[in-house]
Amino acid sequence: MARSPSIHVAVVGAGIVGAAAAHFLAAAGARVTLLDASGPAAGATGASDGAVSVASKRPGPMMDLARHARAFYGQCETDGLLRGLFHRRSTFLVARTALEAELVAQHGADLAAAGERVLDVDRPALLSRIPGLGDGVCFALEIPDDGHALGYEVTERLLQRSSVTVRRNAPVSEIVMRAGQAVGVAIRGEMVPADAVLVAAGIGSAGLLALGDILIPRKGQMIVTDRASAGRPAIDGHLMAASYLAAKRGIVRDNAHIGLVIDPLVTGQFLIGGSREDHCADQATDARTVAAILRDALDLYPPLRERRVLRTFAGVRTASCDGLPIVGPHPHLKGVMIATGFEGDGICLGPFMGASAARMILGEAPGIDLSLLAPRRFARAEALA
Amino acid sequence: MTDLPVLVVGGGPAGAAAAVTMAEAGLRVLVVEQRDRLGGAIHRQPVAGARQVWKGPARHQRNWAELAERVERAAGRIELRTSTVFLGVDGEGRFLFDDRVAGRVFARPVRAAVVAVGAVERIRPFEGWELPGVMSAGGAQVLLKETGQPPEGAIVVAGSGPLLLAVSAQLARAGNPPLAVLERGRPWRSPRALARLMTAGPQLGEAISYAAALAAKAVPYHAGSEVLSVRETGEGLEIRMRIGGSDRLLQARHLLIHDGLEPNRAGIPLPAPEANIPVFHAGDGREILGADAAILDGRRAAAAVLASLGRAAPVALLEARLSKARDFQLALSDALHSPAALPSPETLLCRCEGRRYADFAALPADASAREIRLMGRFGLGVCQGRFCGPMIAELRGEPLPLSSPPRWPLRPVSVAALAKFSTDETES
Amino acid sequence: MNPCFYWIDRPVSFRPGETIAAALLRAGIADLGPDRGAARARVFCGIGACQACVVAVAGEGPVEACLTPARAGLRLGPQPGLGLRHD
Repeated sequence: MARSPSIHVAVVGAGIVGAAAAHFLAAAGARVTLLDASGPAAGATGASDGAVSVASKRPGPMMDLARHARAFYGQCETDGLLRGLFHRRSTFLVARTALEAELVAQHGADLAAAGERVLDVDRPALLSRIPGLGDGVCFALEIPDDGHALGYEVTERLLQRSSVTVRRNAPVSEIVMRAGQAVGVAIRGEMVPADAVLVAAGIGSAGLLALGDILIPRKGQMIVTDRASAGRPAIDGHLMAASYLAAKRGIVRDNAHIGLVIDPLVTGQFLIGGSREDHCADQATDARTVAAILRDALDLYPPLRERRVLRTFAGVRTASCDGLPIVGPHPHLKGVMIATGFEGDGICLGPFMGASAARMILGEAPGIDLSLLAPRRFARAEALA
Repeated sequence: MTDLPVLVVGGGPAGAAAAVTMAEAGLRVLVVEQRDRLGGAIHRQPVAGARQVWKGPARHQRNWAELAERVERAAGRIELRTSTVFLGVDGEGRFLFDDRVAGRVFARPVRAAVVAVGAVERIRPFEGWELPGVMSAGGAQVLLKETGQPPEGAIVVAGSGPLLLAVSAQLARAGNPPLAVLERGRPWRSPRALARLMTAGPQLGEAISYAAALAAKAVPYHAGSEVLSVRETGEGLEIRMRIGGSDRLLQARHLLIHDGLEPNRAGIPLPAPEANIPVFHAGDGREILGADAAILDGRRAAAAVLASLGRAAPVALLEARLSKARDFQLALSDALHSPAALPSPETLLCRCEGRRYADFAALPADASAREIRLMGRFGLGVCQGRFCGPMIAELRGEPLPLSSPPRWPLRPVSVAALAKFSTDETES
Repeated sequence: MNPCFYWIDRPVSFRPGETIAAALLRAGIADLGPDRGAARARVFCGIGACQACVVAVAGEGPVEACLTPARAGLRLGPQPGLGLRHD
């Protein structure tokens, strides 16, 4: 990256995307102030599963992006930046009905067409990998090249290994413009001057940039159990039910729908998700939804009956109205870059997209063509007019 | 709405007093208690066939007998659910309970709630406090009441507070006097606080009877003394301690520790009398004032519930007596106060997640509550911060901010039991 | 003769109404395992708050030994610990 030692960038939002952008900007020589209304990983980044998964992505640009983003994790793990935080781990796509089997098979074909390795696993092989798996599982595919990383750990590492100034409890109320050019951000009457501003504030971006019609909060309720094993994942892969694919592929759009994933954490605990509740921006969880998730999880993986629920929590994903992330320069506000709308894919895409946003701020081309994600696609909409 | 019950969580003195006061005023009451009978930690009864080693002060027995009888008389208005754990209030406003016998979580609509879940013990951590053989003094006391048998083998009691004296005396009467009792505080350094304590009749009498029990068995009581660290040897525990100015090693099978009491409040919604369904705290779960005051405080909470329902309920007399109990507790904490010392880097703060003081010290000074939880993993474990929370509050000089919204479950709950929850089965 | 439950494979007798914790301690079992790793389980607070005495129950969710009445025939054992990772 070109050295631009004089440039000062204000990054709004210390989630995984903002932290990655801040890290790579600072690494390229920029002066960076990272501001968050609360603190690092306080939003969806700290309230999500850690799937760095291509297996879950919708065919098309999202699947391709996810492949680049996962490869970027691998590269950051090798070069030391994310050493110890990114683990390769299989995803198992599992079906419990004939209809679901069809969906999983179709999704497998789409993944293979995108260049992803897809392995058939028969039931005996599956049971040897995941002992105790429910009787109802009739078909499964293994996606062996997926991975796992915890969003808050990645965020912390990115900030530790950089000279970024982090300001906690710093809610940005306004981007300060002068002569059509961003000159800083305002926090409680204080002006933080900057040559460029990156807005990576998740659902908070909606208020800051008047994107209320474009960004949709989508709450997800999740459950963490106690340990099933000591200091290592309890099962050899991430279980992703066809119901999750159905939601991701847009086949079901029902606020009561559960897209089930059972995520074995390196602590030996399970993280089980989750609901997809559109237009819900609160972080409350309810027994009705949690019990429904658990019933589905017990059906898929009965050994969970020997576990206890330690915590329930909810994260608010930020979805865009057309289902694609929003990454690129603001069409009208000069010096303002946007990186949000990653929905449930922020942990997977975050480091790569943050690095790409950093390059764009420095006037360089991102690693791959991101024009599909450019905010200007909404330019006709009221909000960005 | 008017025939919905008032919920009382906890069947100790405060909960029982709140329940009978409201039932006698004509309200329906639902009492949930995690154990299989009422009484709380203070009135834990021996199991069948066990001898009762220690009945406790006569007035405690009288008070409890009277409450138990009133519960009995009001049985028509009090529904008692034992072996049932309160799990908190979910995002849709449901009060949730874990029925440990049926293995099922259920919800019940209530019109108000009194939460009287008592105290948890404060622990000042030192290297090795997490080892098997180390037990809280209060935990050992509960087991002694229940089984009638002291633990076998040599015992050391250490920490701070009047409970050390009580437990040690009970162990002595049960036939296994401790090798030594170590009180961190130096009460003679606060003559004024001591003088204030001397005016408290019943508590003073109790303390004298405990001291007599210890003296009868020649149990050494060392003030200004503390445990520095513990390690395991083949036979048990090797306890390094400072007695007066000098370090000593002592071998024992059991080390009982205790550094005062803390309201057991982790994650429980704060009282919000203006809320739709008001929640009031009572007893040691609200403020550590002891068993006598807990009964008064249960009545005070009941009066607050009645007032929130538009019923006159005078509390002035109760408040005056509670304030006397508060004076006593303040004098006690003045008398036993000892400055906090930083633990060694290797000292475990969070037993659940294996997090040490060094891990805490490595967090940024301005770390948010979320960072302390996620990066530090403090408060994330199975006890949900009930033990490391107070430790961290003392180290930080300010309490850990509460998570918002309040979390449920307040206690870990079986996956199978929670999966059985259904809105169709909501009892009314 | 008193009824018994099993700690790993060892029969532990209990008096009706007694908690699992009380019976284990009377039998001299203070270390509730596991054998390896940090922070082994043990009875500590006696009132269900510290969760340090949680034991695994075959076929069911784990329970606090200090709160749970012992039942004849229960098969109990240590919960998975923290492992050897020091992180």
